[in-house]
Amino acid sequence: MGNSKTVRFKIKRQASPAAKSYWEEFELPRHSGMNVISSLMEIAGNPVTRDGRTTTPVTYDSNCLEEICGSCAMLINGKARMACSALVDKLDQPIRLEPFSKFPVVRDLAVDRSVLFENLKAVKAWVPIDGSYDLGPGPRLTMQDQEAAYPLSRCISCCCCMEACPQFNEETNFVGAAAISQVRLFNTHPTGSALKRERLSALMGDGGIHECGYAQNCVEVCPKDIPLTRSIAEVGGAVMKQAIGDLFRK
Amino acid sequence: MSATASPSAPFDVDEGVSPLRAGQGHSFLLRRIHSLSGIIPVGAFLVEHFISNAFATRGPGAYAKQVELLSGFPFVVGLELFGIWLPILYHALYGFYIWYRGESNVAEYPWTGNWMYNSQRWTGAIAFFYMVWHTWHLRFSGIHILSHPASAFGKVQLEFQNPLAVAFYALGIFCASWHFAYGLWLFAAKWGITTGDAARRRFGYVCFAVGLLFMLVGAVTMYSFLSTPLQRLEPGVSGAESFVMK
Repeated sequence: MGNSKTVRFKIKRQASPAAKSYWEEFELPRHSGMNVISSLMEIAGNPVTRDGRTTTPVTYDSNCLEEICGSCAMLINGKARMACSALVDKLDQPIRLEPFSKFPVVRDLAVDRSVLFENLKAVKAWVPIDGSYDLGPGPRLTMQDQEAAYPLSRCISCCCCMEACPQFNEETNFVGAAAISQVRLFNTHPTGSALKRERLSALMGDGGIHECGYAQNCVEVCPKDIPLTRSIAEVGGAVMKQAIGDLFRK
Repeated sequence: MSATASPSAPFDVDEGVSPLRAGQGHSFLLRRIHSLSGIIPVGAFLVEHFISNAFATRGPGAYAKQVELLSGFPFVVGLELFGIWLPILYHALYGFYIWYRGESNVAEYPWTGNWMYNSQRWTGAIAFFYMVWHTWHLRFSGIHILSHPASAFGKVQLEFQNPLAVAFYALGIFCASWHFAYGLWLFAAKWGITTGDAARRRFGYVCFAVGLLFMLVGAVTMYSFLSTPLQRLEPGVSGAESFVMK
């Protein structure tokens, strides 16, 4: 039992992608304002387990320390969230840290999230402005469009929405909420909408938007409060309109 | 030598979830047919079925007339086959496939939407097994209702002689009502009919009311069968006949 002057951590360790995982416990002196990342920094500075054994420092991804880069997502007490904004005072002890369960582990808490990058490429999540001459300024966005687009542009690619989704797994290979929401962002952009049809078609492929079961965990876990369920509904409607329209057009 | 020769695949590791396969497969079509079939024709049939059976509240005579009307439809077996049995079978079997491929996580994420996601799978499964039992008993065995509409009321009453059957009916009605009501809500959300949060909440109240209404109509209908004195089956028809198709 850790007393109130210390903080206990149970951390799932894995030395390499192929290695077996195991748990290690750590105990740190408690001080005010500590979060999970600052605790992992302390463990790295003095990698000694609770039973006094010297071990390797825990590997984890992190960068900005202010919930804006998306690197430090992990399972904290079983839930997908950002470690930098996970305040130790608000967590049940011992604090369980695990790598994301649906992404290949690189080492310890660091996982390979490149599937999101591949999905963003598959839905062409960009504004096509490449050309051999100056295209001049693009069309202006209305204030209303800006206000709808801004929350969507806050996505930090942390993959929490995908980890928490019951449909995102190796059976469905579902694309996940983040990429669908980016489709909405770039389809509402006046220049980005040039690729609208291609983006919606991509979402009709295997693993596309239809695999969504609307459990709505994505919108609950999103650290950036992105209206993901709204994006799925809007893009779902656009995909259906295009699919039905193509029955008559094509 | 071989230990260092193949750096391309050095580990036996989990590859993780595959990226989106744009332009590949037919899952979009199959999944959307599954979604639509829950509304038309399966949902539409459910509405018809609840209304028709509610004629029991107006007595065995009115009930017999309604059964006679339905069994008098042209191509009635074709209507049953393509309008009811095959769509339900597709919706159910593809539904089990969807369930199998999902990975429930309510223990970690115990939120309303996630619970409803699970409830939709359980109520669907229970309703399906109920329907298999229910159609076997009332449509495919015993007195043939299509050719003996006047015996329909009594046949249901005979069924209700067993308290376990009554309980299974109540459970089946509860699950079918729940599954249909939440299915309506899901359909509107996934097909982009209710896109806004407020619209989804409002439609949620509507679907909740629809579910309650179905349960209420089902309960009142069951009460009519249970409270009416046992009706005799048509004379000259033995209860042991078995009809698969007629």
